[in-house]
Amino acid sequence: MAGRGKLIAVIGDEDTCTGFLLGGIGELNKNRKPNFLVVEKDTSITEIEETFKSFLARNDIGIILINQFIAEMIRHAIDAHMQSIPAVLEIPSKEHPYDASKDSILRRAKGMFSAEDFR
Amino acid sequence: MGLDPASLRLDEQLLHFMDQLEILEEKRQKLNMLIEEGWFNISKARYSMGNKQVSALQYASEMEPLVLVHASLSEKGEAAFRCKRINDKAEELKQSDTVETIGPTEGGLRRRVNITKTDIKEEKDTSRDQCEKETQFNSKSEKSSIKQDPLKWFGILVPQNLKQAQAAFKEVITLSAEISTMQSAIVKTRLEMKTQMKDKEKIVSELKE
Repeated sequence: MAGRGKLIAVIGDEDTCTGFLLGGIGELNKNRKPNFLVVEKDTSITEIEETFKSFLARNDIGIILINQFIAEMIRHAIDAHMQSIPAVLEIPSKEHPYDASKDSILRRAKGMFSAEDFR
Repeated sequence: MGLDPASLRLDEQLLHFMDQLEILEEKRQKLNMLIEEGWFNISKARYSMGNKQVSALQYASEMEPLVLVHASLSEKGEAAFRCKRINDKAEELKQSDTVETIGPTEGGLRRRVNITKTDIKEEKDTSRDQCEKETQFNSKSEKSSIKQDPLKWFGILVPQNLKQAQAAFKEVITLSAEISTMQSAIVKTRLEMKTQMKDKEKIVSELKE
């Protein structure tokens, strides 16, 4: 597994997942577990959170791509993830454009210049 | 009045941090633009193929990744991600292969006019060999079908827009690896600045005392 490289996982709406799968990131492993989650209207937050946590726990995943509006639903779980691998990347979605002020990484960077940071 | 080395180092780090943020912003903009282009092309393809086409229901039941990321951690703790396409290797091998195979890959049998008993026996042997070869060929083709182009999930003659969407998302994947590397570097720089700032504060408080 060491020399094989890692996978890119996606949690997103149908078109985002379709696009990335077209790009060739999709995998169904031996246990038939996919490295993507298509979030639909009826997908619960717990399901999203569990999938996100299972992706974090898998050591064959290098990057997790997540739509920003979905990331907002599980913000606490994303903020709690401090390791650099797997990296979590927030991407825009069709109905929700990317907002840098919501991005967890940029929020951390912004914190550098807040009053709290100087204490 | 000259600045102390700690302040100078902190200033340098801050400029470096700003540069990193600027690069990240540029890459982000490009990523957003490419994703939008991809969605637009998927929608166009759906418009020409039909409302229920290009959906999650059409994903293959067997999937193998065609792109992988190689993640490495530096001594500083920065993660670097590098994308590698699995197809590239196969294409390279194809290009380096100097021997061209012309004509059908499967050898066909020809019936001779004068058939003797020995010929029939030989023919039986060769047909058995061919059967074995065919089964081997089938297993090979099964393996390669798993690693098929995801475009084929949505049909054999797909519109050009879907191909354009695929090209856009391929670029997005490469870019997302670059952004992840950049993000990791930014977080690391931020941590370093924080520790340096605390050190400076210590020095300042000691000087005051």
